[in-house]
Amino acid sequence: MPSSSTASLEILNLHKRFSEPAVNGLSLKVREGEFYALLGPNGAGKTTTLRMVAGLLQADAGSVRICGIDAFADPIAAKQVLAWVPDDPMVYDKLTPVEYLEFVAGLWNMPPDLARFRADSLLDSFGLAPHSNERCGGFSKGMRQKVALAGALIHEPRLIILDEPLTGLDAGSARQVKTVLTGLVAEGVSIIMTTHILEVAERMADRIGIIARGQLVAEGTLEELRTRASADGHSLEDIFLEIVGGGEGDLHERAADDLDEKVA
Amino acid sequence: MRAVPAPSALMRFSRHELRLAWRDWAWMFSGWRNTSLRRTLIGMGLFYAVMHLVAYAVLSPRFAAGFALDQTALAMLSVTVLLSFTMMLSQAMESVTRAFYARDDLDLILSSPAPSRDLFLVRIVMMALTSWAMSALVISPFLNVAVALDGVHWLAGYAVLLAVSLTATGAGVLITLSLFKTVGAQRTRFLAQILAAVVGASFLIGMQVVAILSFRSMSRFTLLDPAFLAEHAPGANSAWWVLARAVTGETGALIPVLAVSVFFFAAGAWRGAVQFRSIVVLALGVTEKTPRGRASDRSFRGYSPLGALVSKELKLIARDPWLISQTLMQVLYLIPPAVMLWVSLGDTAGVSVIVAPVVVMAVGQLAGGLAWLTISGEDAPDLIATAPVSAFTTLWAKVLSVLALIGALLLPITLSLALVSVWGAAVTAAGAMIAAASAILVQLWFRAQAKRTNFRRRQVASKASTLTEAAASIACAAGTALVAAGSALVLLPLALLVCVLGIAWSLRPKHGVQA
Repeated sequence: MPSSSTASLEILNLHKRFSEPAVNGLSLKVREGEFYALLGPNGAGKTTTLRMVAGLLQADAGSVRICGIDAFADPIAAKQVLAWVPDDPMVYDKLTPVEYLEFVAGLWNMPPDLARFRADSLLDSFGLAPHSNERCGGFSKGMRQKVALAGALIHEPRLIILDEPLTGLDAGSARQVKTVLTGLVAEGVSIIMTTHILEVAERMADRIGIIARGQLVAEGTLEELRTRASADGHSLEDIFLEIVGGGEGDLHERAADDLDEKVA
Repeated sequence: MRAVPAPSALMRFSRHELRLAWRDWAWMFSGWRNTSLRRTLIGMGLFYAVMHLVAYAVLSPRFAAGFALDQTALAMLSVTVLLSFTMMLSQAMESVTRAFYARDDLDLILSSPAPSRDLFLVRIVMMALTSWAMSALVISPFLNVAVALDGVHWLAGYAVLLAVSLTATGAGVLITLSLFKTVGAQRTRFLAQILAAVVGASFLIGMQVVAILSFRSMSRFTLLDPAFLAEHAPGANSAWWVLARAVTGETGALIPVLAVSVFFFAAGAWRGAVQFRSIVVLALGVTEKTPRGRASDRSFRGYSPLGALVSKELKLIARDPWLISQTLMQVLYLIPPAVMLWVSLGDTAGVSVIVAPVVVMAVGQLAGGLAWLTISGEDAPDLIATAPVSAFTTLWAKVLSVLALIGALLLPITLSLALVSVWGAAVTAAGAMIAAASAILVQLWFRAQAKRTNFRRRQVASKASTLTEAAASIACAAGTALVAAGSALVLLPLALLVCVLGIAWSLRPKHGVQA
């Protein structure tokens, strides 16, 4: 059973190695009702970390607790309170949004009346109601992403893991999604999200973690990061580039050095 | 210095298509491993050589006795050509539909200033040449042996094959265009696939049905009986045998055959090239809309996770046009045994021995395809993997879906068979379920994560699973026939089945795949 006083997500000393270490002793906590943005350059280990948390990838070492549940020891219980939305929306072309949500509700064993109510409400919130009876095969990427998000939210998860959820969304859709997510956080749901849109992290996240070479190199609120980076009044983009380096090529190498200089 | 002129769009598209075709072929057979491609080429070379020996064994007695172009020879040649034609037409309809609907590189090419009709012309020529090459590969050993034993006039067979391929490709384009005109872009793909399946199977099945009705035999070769042909077929000098005479190199037959094929191909190529851009734009604009109405207002069903998974699989299968066409093909192949049952009502002896293996084979093949679609073809693997459902439940739901569909297909066949022989029906049902279970087991052992749209490539993606699945179905079919006949030899196919499944198990990929 999850204990009420615990963090929604607790990652401790997580390791994953492919041909070289992808995640290297990463630890972080996401509190209840917190919006946590995980930032980092390409290949930093963000998606690998989140996939291990979601149970899609086996960790080499370390532990993950979701709402107090050891996700590696009892994955089914952990998944009951978890939702995962990848950057590439995975929906069935031959199902309509309503059928998709009915299917997801069945997977989470939801009472049918509650599921129908939640489905209608989510379809409304994401502006999908007029398309609820069309097959997803004809949808744009943004619409598919919204269907996938609705599917992730239908079972009222306590922790939502989002990997680049705003990719492919137009401005209006992105605002719809952000409104829904902000509302969920206000209700006590925790969100951990990776994004390349730093402005989104800056505006929405309670805390921000910056990851490079599979390690957390900086963490805190925007103000704390500003203080650490001695970049008072600067945007998150300035801080991020200062911490992880400005160019793609040398990001990995610089990240650790910057960590020593600015954080330690 | 003179500037080198830029190659024409036709040349550029030709090079592009040839490169894609070669890479596609190499990928299918080798997965881009050089050693595997070399081994595949050596294997194909050996197979081709062995086919020459088979052709020699079949043809040499006929040529040794002095080849006579009698009704049997004419019928045999005509049947071969017509069979090739139906197969090529079916293939052409598939390819043409794909050329119109597959997005792949069409967005790029249509948005470029290159003339799109050139692309269509190149693609239709590639289609014709591919189908010619594939059929020539199978038939050429017989033509080569005939040339060696009887003379170079048999080389005309290659020209006839090319003519058949041109005709089939041109006709395929014209039929698909007519479908576009009559039923619209939304329905054409589905109908074209169904039609392709029916065309591909119709000739063989038609011959078998005639054989059953005339001789109560499932063998199509009974139709080549000289007495039957003398009574029912046109005389040896009839114009109906123009195709057969063209194969033997008769100029008077070859020229009209070639002329007709060029006409069909030119008509198809011209009509297709002119309409290509507008049809592709229509086809790419097709969205999968379903009628609006009660469906969105109804209450949700209270599915358990298992029920939700089974329901999802059944919905997706029912909405898969390609799978429906494949299922239809299997059902079409069941028509001859059904006719056999019908003409044998009241005559129980031996019917189930003839019918059972056909049913078992068809069910085994269908179960293999369905099992791949449900077990490996998952479009939302992350969703399933992050749901609070055990891997066992997920796999069990997928297996249950296949068994439910196979059961639904098998039930009417078993009941019909039971009218003739209860024992035969029981044996057939048992054999079919064992074949289905074997195919499912093979697919479970070889499961991989793939999009459902990769279904076409499943047979080349894992040759081991394809071969063991087919061998298991054959063993089950043979075993069922022997049980129905009351033969003790049933132990042989049973042992073969165990061996095949053992081999499949030992060859299965050792790395685990998350379901």
